[in-house]
Amino acid sequence: MSTFIPKATANGMRLLIIALGLSISSSSLAGSRLIGTGGVGAIEGAAGGGLSPWAVLTSTASEQEFGATATVSRAWLDDYRLTVEAASANIYDRVELSAARQTLDLETLGGELEQTIVGAKVRLFGDVLYHPWGIWSAGVQHKNLADDSTPKALGAEHGQGNDVYLSASKLVFNAVAGRNLLLNATLRNTNANQGGLLGFGGDNGGREWVAEGSLGLFLTPKWVVGMEYRQKPDRLSAAREDDWQSLYSAYFFNKHVSLTAAWLSLGDIAGLPSQNGAYASLQATF
Amino acid sequence: MRFHRCATPLLMALWLTGCAAQDATQPSLYTQLGGMQTIDRVVENMLYRVADDPEVVVFFANTNIDHFAEAFATQLCDISDGPCQYEGPPMDRAHQHMGINDAHFNRVVEYLADAMAEEGVPLAAQNELLGRLAPLYDDVMRLQ
Repeated sequence: MSTFIPKATANGMRLLIIALGLSISSSSLAGSRLIGTGGVGAIEGAAGGGLSPWAVLTSTASEQEFGATATVSRAWLDDYRLTVEAASANIYDRVELSAARQTLDLETLGGELEQTIVGAKVRLFGDVLYHPWGIWSAGVQHKNLADDSTPKALGAEHGQGNDVYLSASKLVFNAVAGRNLLLNATLRNTNANQGGLLGFGGDNGGREWVAEGSLGLFLTPKWVVGMEYRQKPDRLSAAREDDWQSLYSAYFFNKHVSLTAAWLSLGDIAGLPSQNGAYASLQATF
Repeated sequence: MRFHRCATPLLMALWLTGCAAQDATQPSLYTQLGGMQTIDRVVENMLYRVADDPEVVVFFANTNIDHFAEAFATQLCDISDGPCQYEGPPMDRAHQHMGINDAHFNRVVEYLADAMAEEGVPLAAQNELLGRLAPLYDDVMRLQ
C-alpha cells in the first residue's frame, strides 16, 4: 500500500484514524459551544474556512474546556497537488495553538515543496453568536520551508517568515431565507509568496497588509455553504501570483467529524497560469 | 444617466417588495413558532435535557420547575410578539452570583435549539428566536 500512497498521506491517514477513534470513544467530551462554531481547519492549521483563518477558535470548547482537532486536506489543481496535515488545540476558548505541514507536489514541473507552520490565535473579546460586534481574535503563524533552494532561485529572500493577523467573525441570525449567515474578515501582515511555499519576500518588496474575507450560509445547523477571498502579495517578478478564491460546502456530521469540499481558483502559481481545482478536507475533533 | 433609467424601476421594485415583506401579511414570530402550545412543548423538552445534564441542573436546585417553565414560556411568548407580558425579574438579577460560565450558557442554548428542532419548529423561526435571545447573554452574565 505504501508504494501507492505518498508518505505524507499515509502519515495523515494514520493520524486521522487515531483521532477518529479517540473522538468516537470520548463522545461525552464534546465542547459546549454550538455545532459549527469552531469552523473547519484552514490550510495553515488555524480554525477557519479553507483558505483563510476565522476569528473563532477550533473545536467547540468553551470556558474551562479543552478541545483538539486533527485535519487532513488535499487540493487537486491543474499542475499541482497540495496535501495538508494539521492539528490544533483550544484552551478555554481563549487560546488556539496549531501546527500544519503543507506538501505541494509539482506535478508538471517535477519535485515538491514542503513547509511547516506553527500558529497561535488569541480571542481578544466577544462571541460569534452573542456579542453585537461578534468575536475578535489576533493570531501569528511561523512558517518554515523544508528546502528553500527553489523559492530562492525564483527570487525569494527568505526560507522562513511570520504572518500576523487580526480577524473578526459574526453570525447574523435569520439573515437570508430564514438561514443564519456567517461573516468573516481578516487583515494579515505577511511577506509570504503563495502562502510561504514559494518563500518570503522578493525583488518586488517585503511585508504588506492584505485582506481576506468569507461568507457562509448555514442551510441547516450542520451544513454551511459559502465563498472565500484571500488577497495575496505579489513579490516575485519571476513568478507573479494572484488572489485566491473558493466556493465551499462544509458538513458537520456531529461535534466530532466534519467534511469540507470546495472549488478553488488560485490564479497563477510559479509561472503556470490559472490554477483551478477541487479541495477536500476531513476534520476530527475531540 | 443610464444608471438612473435602469436603477429607478429596480429601486421601485425593491421598495415595493420591501413594503410587502413588512406588512401585516407576515405572521408574527409567535405564530411561526406554533403559538403557546408549541412554546410549552419546547420548554418542557428543553427542561428534560437540562435535567439530564448534572453540570447545568444544579443551577435549578432551588427552583420551582413548574413556576420556571411557566415564566420562561411567557418570556418566549413575549419576545416573539405573542399575547404575553413577561413580568418576572430582569435577567441580570434572576441569574446574579450563580456562577454561570460560558460553557453553561452555551449548553442551555444548545438544549433550547435541539428542543425546537425536535418539536418541529421551522428553521427560520428557530433562527429568529435564537437571534432575539442572543443579546440576553450580556444581561445573564452581567452579575456573575
